[in-house]
Amino acid sequence: MRSIKTIQAACFCFGLVFMVLSVGLPAEAADKENCLMCHRYRFVGRIDENGKRHNYHVDEKSYSGSVHRNVPCRDCHTYITKIPHDPVTEEVNCANICHITPPFSQEKFSHQKIIDIYNKSAHGIKPEDSDEAKKAKPYCKYCHLNEKYTRVSEELIAYEETLRRCLNCHQEKGVTQAYIHMTHRLRKKTTRSPQEIVQLCAKCHQDLELMKKLKVSEKGLTAVETYNRTLHGKAVALGSHETADCVSCHASSVIHDIYKKDNPESTVYKDNLNKTCHHCHSETNNWFVKIGVHPSTKHDENPVIQLMSIGLRLALYGAVLSLVGLMLFETYGRRKDGIKFLLRHGTSWRGKSKRRPK
Amino acid sequence: MSTSSKTFVVAGKEIVEDDDYITLVDGVGPIPRDIYKYVKSDPTGDLPRYSVHIVIQHLLIFVTFIVLSGTGLPLYFSDLSWAQYLITLFGGIDLAREIHKVAAFTMMFASAYHIVTIVGGTSRKLLKGEFDYRRTIIPRLKDLSDFFQDIKYFMGFAPYRPKMEKFMYKQKAHYLAILWGSFVLMAAGSALLFPDVVARLFPDTVTKILPTGIVDEVAFPSFFQSLARLMHADEAVMALIVIAFWHWLNVHLVPGRFPLQWAFLNGKITREHQLEEHFLEYLRNLQEIPEEREYMRKLLKEKGFEISQKVTVEDIPRIL
Repeated sequence: MRSIKTIQAACFCFGLVFMVLSVGLPAEAADKENCLMCHRYRFVGRIDENGKRHNYHVDEKSYSGSVHRNVPCRDCHTYITKIPHDPVTEEVNCANICHITPPFSQEKFSHQKIIDIYNKSAHGIKPEDSDEAKKAKPYCKYCHLNEKYTRVSEELIAYEETLRRCLNCHQEKGVTQAYIHMTHRLRKKTTRSPQEIVQLCAKCHQDLELMKKLKVSEKGLTAVETYNRTLHGKAVALGSHETADCVSCHASSVIHDIYKKDNPESTVYKDNLNKTCHHCHSETNNWFVKIGVHPSTKHDENPVIQLMSIGLRLALYGAVLSLVGLMLFETYGRRKDGIKFLLRHGTSWRGKSKRRPK
Repeated sequence: MSTSSKTFVVAGKEIVEDDDYITLVDGVGPIPRDIYKYVKSDPTGDLPRYSVHIVIQHLLIFVTFIVLSGTGLPLYFSDLSWAQYLITLFGGIDLAREIHKVAAFTMMFASAYHIVTIVGGTSRKLLKGEFDYRRTIIPRLKDLSDFFQDIKYFMGFAPYRPKMEKFMYKQKAHYLAILWGSFVLMAAGSALLFPDVVARLFPDTVTKILPTGIVDEVAFPSFFQSLARLMHADEAVMALIVIAFWHWLNVHLVPGRFPLQWAFLNGKITREHQLEEHFLEYLRNLQEIPEEREYMRKLLKEKGFEISQKVTVEDIPRIL
């Protein structure tokens, strides 16, 4: 009897361990060509001619949780044609067509459309740009770091309930992924937090030397500084998720269509401001859009504001110093006339007046 | 004020004082100016000063003021390290902004409540014919002379503090400052909260009539917004500093008030405080409260304050 119980317990434990382990098993990444055969090793890499170390390890678990989990390696790394492959010299081209057909679509997926929009924007490299500008302009990977294959946080979406009805007709796996993807995109304009956006843009736009080289306008030079002075900037600095960051105003929902403000395509072009501000401010008019979103650091140039500022400062010092001074003076005078500090039952005037000896 | 000297018998002694020293109250007796040194007081207060409405309004303003400072200051000083910690206390900036708005509307409600109380109370007194502007917070010329006499007293040049009404010069100045400050903070705060509504005050048609150059030059809404930003922040910081470094100390920490003045909780003032700083109001208290008359009559007898035979009643100034 006893041995049966022991075997039962052992089976139960084993089963439990197996269940826990199998839950933790990573989902299968799209690696049909088995690149991970080599790249799964943590120290696969080389030392180049300059003595610099390169690590080519791909963490399967991270990759299978990333946005690109369904994309086979060679869809992006197209220049690899044989195994073992030659040293890689080319960059990945995000405009490549990959062999994935999105749900509800016939054509293969590509980032080409957004890249076209981006290339037209102020950040796209133009033939007439100087060499410095060409070098300074950010490319896809500058902003989309894909660091550690940036995990998409999808657990925040309460999709189970909404999705239940879809499952009546649709296959669970495909429709769940599509649904999560869409709701994730719908939830926010960007996946980045406003703080990350401001930080990202400021990385270049706060670099005054770089900006001067690129000959940006006087207002553009101080854009980060002046934004940080506004309520928008201050609220974002303190962690707000509701306040406007850079792309809230400077880009439409396409995000990549950032233009200079004198370009009629721009969301901050003077005729488009009404519409842009209207996203958050329910009532806008031609006066409203003149309110400084990047108020000049020299706004004190306005003589009225300058006078007000000086006046308020004087009032502050005057009020505090005179009132506290009066209080101290009063205390001195009353103490001399015999008042004691502590208020008790009876009277506070317990002392002898030292003022008028009789 | 006459400066002629007269002789009185006070506490069995004959003394020479100017005729402001003794105030004769019918049925009570001659009250010397420094009687506050001889009275007995209850630290929680003896005489009525504020109605329950004023106490409630003060508490509302008091609480909302602290909440508004706590949620507003970090925004003004957003680049300083403590701002983040303070804002976390209020559940993050987005919640803190909502709390700020709720507190602001509560404070505005308290202000409206105050106006209703003041207007209602005043009109009731007017109807009864009891209204006396000297008992109100309305500034008078006397406040200025009171101030100078008080300064003289503090310096040791004048023997006694001036006889002041229910509200002395300090309180009147503070009240006026609060009136101005609340108006500025509410107006500027509303302009910051509803920039679109403020911009609507300048209708689109005006923009269209004026040539573009002028609109850009003048930029009214931009100007008003900058002004509102400046006024709201600076005025609030000033209010906070004045409350923290003067009002609290002046009310609870100076001698004779320490450790706590109960007036903001029960609306009562101590007898010695009333006599010292609001002597004329005390005389009105004597008229209105029979118990107080009885107390003062007994005290004067006990301490031996009486009018010398050498003076006639006509020589003594009558306030009431």
